[in-house]
Amino acid sequence: MDTQSYLPVQPGVGMEENFLSLDDILLSQERLPARTECAFPRLGFLEKSTDNPDIVEGTKMELPLWLSKGLYDRKRRVLSVELPKVYREGWRTVFNADPNVVDLHKMGPYYYGLGSQMLHFDCPENTEIGQTLLQTFIGRFRRNMDSSQNAYNEDTSALVERLDTLEKALFRSGQSGLNSFQSWEKGQASQITASALVLNYRKRKITDMQQ
Amino acid sequence: MDPAEVEFLAEKETVKIIPNFSLDKVYLIGGDLGPFNPGLPVDVPVWLALNLKQRQKCRIVPPAWMDVDKLEEMRDLERKEDAFMPVPSPHYMELTKLLLNYASDNIPKADEIRTLVKDIWDTRVAKLRLSADSFITQAEAHAKLDNLTLMEINTIRSFFLDSLNCMYKLRSNMQPSGDSKGHFNDY
Repeated sequence: MDTQSYLPVQPGVGMEENFLSLDDILLSQERLPARTECAFPRLGFLEKSTDNPDIVEGTKMELPLWLSKGLYDRKRRVLSVELPKVYREGWRTVFNADPNVVDLHKMGPYYYGLGSQMLHFDCPENTEIGQTLLQTFIGRFRRNMDSSQNAYNEDTSALVERLDTLEKALFRSGQSGLNSFQSWEKGQASQITASALVLNYRKRKITDMQQ
Repeated sequence: MDPAEVEFLAEKETVKIIPNFSLDKVYLIGGDLGPFNPGLPVDVPVWLALNLKQRQKCRIVPPAWMDVDKLEEMRDLERKEDAFMPVPSPHYMELTKLLLNYASDNIPKADEIRTLVKDIWDTRVAKLRLSADSFITQAEAHAKLDNLTLMEINTIRSFFLDSLNCMYKLRSNMQPSGDSKGHFNDY
């Protein structure tokens, strides 16, 4: 089994984000519909739809998560964030009915991550959002486990394309467990093969040296 | 854990061999290996048995459970019951693979045995997945599974632990710690 020479930083737990995690950084790029509660003078260039030099109070804009989190304040002087469609009542009933049908990759590749971050902006529906996230995960768990543990040496793109990023990481770990067991059973575990590090370095292959 | 590591741990099990050489008692740190006399059976660890077999210095006697009728019984019992049955040996999968690869001439009906052991393995792994699924679906806190072998646990370990971690993350959304709500750390 190949072990990596470095371990990437995992995404953060629950409502916290890990500063150094690439997944969290990409996640914070997702845009949220927001409404400004006060005017932003001379920042009109951010709002492409109007030519106003300032952003007046009450403008509806799409802001990325990192900006919304930074500007959000409990007293709500600056910004008020609306829930994206996927976390609203309509979609929540779809998820509660059958989580397996939904294409989570299309709903934003970071469904679970963004959902956890949305809980920072106090919405009245926070508890339901948290519960829906958990129930969706549990509902899809069975299918993810079966597909990752049984697809050996096949093209898995059809299985993976409907998965969220979190589920894709799980799928990969399931596949690696399966692959290492199968390769052991075939006897490949005791065969000596060149390490990936050495092959990439390309200085040690004897065929290259003989040319 | 690699399957290769589990196999290494399995090689500590003892198996009976019939040597064709003679040697006095050997005193090793892990234990003594009794005196070897040609034609008399002696118990040795599997690693030594395989080494001697490859050098053609012994004949391996298949363990008592490696018999077609007994394995058929175990397979049928495993299929009938929902719980895990007592296993023939705590490392039955590894021993089957090792012994059948290196000593298949000493073991009668090797192919049938291989098929039967694979059937038992598939049934047990299916039961394991079922219980893992019910564990997560009902969001239990503890589970007790008897009669599981290390190899079976090993195949499911990384996936299962990662998904339990994800569940923990999603669950901790619902109980935010008191001071983190509404405050964002400036890095």
